[in-house]
Amino acid sequence: MFKNHIKIAWRSLKKQAFFTFLNTFGLAIGMAGALIISLYIYDELSYDKMFADADRIHRIDADIKFGGAEIKAAESAPPMAGALKRDYSQVESTVRFRTLGSMYVKKVGGETSSKENKVTYADSTFFEFFGIDLLVGNSKTALTGTNSLVLTKTAAEKYFGSTDVLGQDLLLNNSDTYTVTGVIEDMPKNSYFNEYSVFLAMAGNVASREELWGSNNYFTFIKLIPEARVEDFQAPLQGMLERYMLPWAQKYFPGMTAESFAASGNYIRYHTMALTDIHLHSDRNSEMNATSSIQNIYILSFIGLFLIILASVNFMNLSTAHSLKRAKEVGVRKTLGSNKLNLIFQFLTESGLIAFISLIAALLITMITLPFFNGFTGKVITIPFTQPLFWLILLAATIVLGLFSGCYPAFFMSRFTPVKTLKGGASESVGNGRVRNALVIFQFSISVFLIVSTLVVFQQLNYIQSKDLGFTKDQVLLINEISPLGSKTNAFKEEILKMGNVENVTLSDFYPTPSWRSDSSFFQEGASSQESAIQMQTWGVDTDYLKTLQMNIVAGRDFNKQYATDSTAVIINEATLPILNVTAEEALGMRISEEIELENPTYYTVIGVVKDFHFKSLRENIGALGLHVNKTAENMAVRLSGGDYSNSIAEIENKWNEMAPGQPFDYQFMDEAFNTTYEAELKLSQIFFIFTILSIFIACLGLFGLAAFNAEKRTKEIGVRKVLGATVSQISYRLTVDFLKLVGIAILVSLPLGWFAMNKWLEDFSYRIDMGVGVFVLAAVLSIVVAIVTVSYQSIKAAIVNPVKSLRSE
Amino acid sequence: MLLQLNNIFKWVQQGGQRIFLLKDVNLEVEEGEFISIMGPSGSGKSTLLNVIGMLDTFNEGEYEFLSESVHTLKEKYRSNLYKEYIGFVFQSYHLLDELTVEENLEMPLLYKKVKGSERKALVADMLDRFNIVGKKDLFPTQLSGGQQQLVGVARALIGKPKLILADEPTGNLNSQQSEEIMQLFQKLNKEDGVTIIQVTHSEKNAEYGSRIINLLDGRKI
Repeated sequence: MFKNHIKIAWRSLKKQAFFTFLNTFGLAIGMAGALIISLYIYDELSYDKMFADADRIHRIDADIKFGGAEIKAAESAPPMAGALKRDYSQVESTVRFRTLGSMYVKKVGGETSSKENKVTYADSTFFEFFGIDLLVGNSKTALTGTNSLVLTKTAAEKYFGSTDVLGQDLLLNNSDTYTVTGVIEDMPKNSYFNEYSVFLAMAGNVASREELWGSNNYFTFIKLIPEARVEDFQAPLQGMLERYMLPWAQKYFPGMTAESFAASGNYIRYHTMALTDIHLHSDRNSEMNATSSIQNIYILSFIGLFLIILASVNFMNLSTAHSLKRAKEVGVRKTLGSNKLNLIFQFLTESGLIAFISLIAALLITMITLPFFNGFTGKVITIPFTQPLFWLILLAATIVLGLFSGCYPAFFMSRFTPVKTLKGGASESVGNGRVRNALVIFQFSISVFLIVSTLVVFQQLNYIQSKDLGFTKDQVLLINEISPLGSKTNAFKEEILKMGNVENVTLSDFYPTPSWRSDSSFFQEGASSQESAIQMQTWGVDTDYLKTLQMNIVAGRDFNKQYATDSTAVIINEATLPILNVTAEEALGMRISEEIELENPTYYTVIGVVKDFHFKSLRENIGALGLHVNKTAENMAVRLSGGDYSNSIAEIENKWNEMAPGQPFDYQFMDEAFNTTYEAELKLSQIFFIFTILSIFIACLGLFGLAAFNAEKRTKEIGVRKVLGATVSQISYRLTVDFLKLVGIAILVSLPLGWFAMNKWLEDFSYRIDMGVGVFVLAAVLSIVVAIVTVSYQSIKAAIVNPVKSLRSE
Repeated sequence: MLLQLNNIFKWVQQGGQRIFLLKDVNLEVEEGEFISIMGPSGSGKSTLLNVIGMLDTFNEGEYEFLSESVHTLKEKYRSNLYKEYIGFVFQSYHLLDELTVEENLEMPLLYKKVKGSERKALVADMLDRFNIVGKKDLFPTQLSGGQQQLVGVARALIGKPKLILADEPTGNLNSQQSEEIMQLFQKLNKEDGVTIIQVTHSEKNAEYGSRIINLLDGRKI
């Protein structure tokens, strides 16, 4: 019997090749989409779980409020790790990282440097702590000596062509020589340390041994003993504040007590963040590596679920629509002695078969598309073909999907009565299709919802990219790491300024792009307590900074090279004014200092107020900021006047090679750097876009099938109408309008949902668009157009049939 | 006695009125009879046949088939009953287009849960008997109407039914094909003792039978 079921299923699928294709294709696309999303989510959830004892490893985080600024720090003070280990028996071991960003590395005696993007100091406990084996070298001693470093395999092979490199020397940033004392495997892609390739011994970092409780620069990890509970460790951890932090602070603020500290509204709240939670749950201001957010996982899960449901609903719709063709078979089978159960089983076999064919197709689609998906997510996801569990889950899911999608059609079709179907009145038995209509409404609701979401995400991103940022990010070339120029830096700047296409050049370490930030506390002249501290960004710039980036002065004046006193001048931004409680005009001439505790503090005089410009993500409000003149800088910004950039770049690069021979010329355009800030949103929007297209596509397949069904069901009606003189366009119109009603209902259902969900999403941005009516009108129009295009083919096809043909069959 | 219908009424409600499809029909059928049901369109011929075949229900009256009261049986037992004892032949053959001749013949046996080897033997017998061995791997659409109906009859017979119900079995056939099918029915009735009830419009076909029942507006006349 089962063989017979499979046989007839296979043959009827083959016979109805087009329907089978629609059905399988829709299901396969849905499955492939869900599979890719599942693999992606699995990868995201697997972060850092590969490390031994990962469940006992935690990072020390701190929420700090001091001087008006709130910081969510992932870094701790240098002595924190040592103190925790010393004071608490729960702490088995610790490791610290002091990240250095990117560095130029070359073999001693080598010709050219190459850039390593992720370099960090690490404590010597690093390897034992994370259970990392060294390919060569001794894990206990590798990171003990100053000027020793450990490379990843890829880095070692890049510089030496092999991993057998113990004792070899590398030159970092053309100045410091380090000896290779070990090589490790590349850090796992799905780990917090992904892409870190060079680990320098902490011994070389002098500040790491100092009792500086006020500077938070060290990513500090602790491993608790197996018996300890992390919840019980939070209180002891908070104890560090009174035991170490406050006594240290009292050196600078005599008389400060825990009470007065708290009373002033300031706080330092320490807590732990589990290593395995960092990737998806960390919300710190800066991280060792880009993290993701659990919210994205939720959104993706929903999209994956949507896709599968859409595909499944599609299947139900097409199968029941197709059932007209099967009605006779049901009738015959029943007269031959088949009962309902037999038929249900037969149809479930069929849907199971389709599900399996779809699974194969889905795997193929996934294999083909995964490299592209990896390309834009930056992951290395593969299909785990060799894992039995994967197959088990996949097969189970396929069977469930096949049964789920198949059961409505199976029950539906097995209800047909032979008396009706064998007399050719099948169209009566298939009913008025209320369920099918509801399913179409459901499908289109999801599609319209996704269209709205996509449009809003795109609009917001567009808004971010075109917003008046307070400076002009276009046509600015950033040249990174200019330190190899040394004393020739200013000469280089002068040479570039002479070039035809160059409008301005400035030297600074700070640009309104995601780069290193410098937060420090300032005090107004005359302030005596830490309560009046102003937490602000202080950026060292040169006198051409504002001109080059085209920032506007709202009060006072710009820096001027001619004025010697400008070395102690500061230009503040508008956001600083409310903190100082003054207007722009009143601020001019005010004096602020970092060193209020000293006898003769250096004061900076406010000479100007710059219009607020965005230097953080638009998710955040603009904070207080001060610009002062600095002599040295690692980066250069060149404003070009348009025309052919590539010529200008080549010209600048030639000059660079002339003045800094053998050094890599590393540049980027500021607008590109700016875009990396919104990479997460950009990726989200791309994912949205792809899966929206997919879901609309699947919904259209369903609508297409249903339109075919409807046209078939109404063959007689159409024939009669034509005999009575209806034109093709009148009939197509009638058939199409019925479906547009369904789409209309779907639009009414999903627009409010879309509005609600996107409002929630937008709340994350301090600067956001107002969702206008336009988005919703556009989404509605789009879905109606798509529906019309889909349905009209079937409608017109049905309408041009010769009525003689359609009436004869009755 | 094979079956007995007592005071069968069947009606549908239309516009507040009862339209009678069958009105007080009484019928006794002995084993070995060959009955033709005749009457104009809409007289209730097919309805009566469907009621006898248990494919359709009725509103009033009693129906006994082999001393079982059909009207009191649950659907499951009813279907077991007709699966066991009744074979159907249709005007438009109703073979399954996706199955070959051989597979079409095999199907009723599958539903009767006949074992594989026995199934093969029965199907081979039937192919032999109807002289269609050469066509066993063809699909219905590759056969002529007469051949299709031949397969239809063979399929109805394969379960060794006591009763064959044929609803205008020659309605779609030309005169020569009709004659062949009717002769086949006669042979089955005479030589194998199969009871046959057919619905027909044709006087000529009706004469093959042993008894004619005339219907008009749902009534036996």
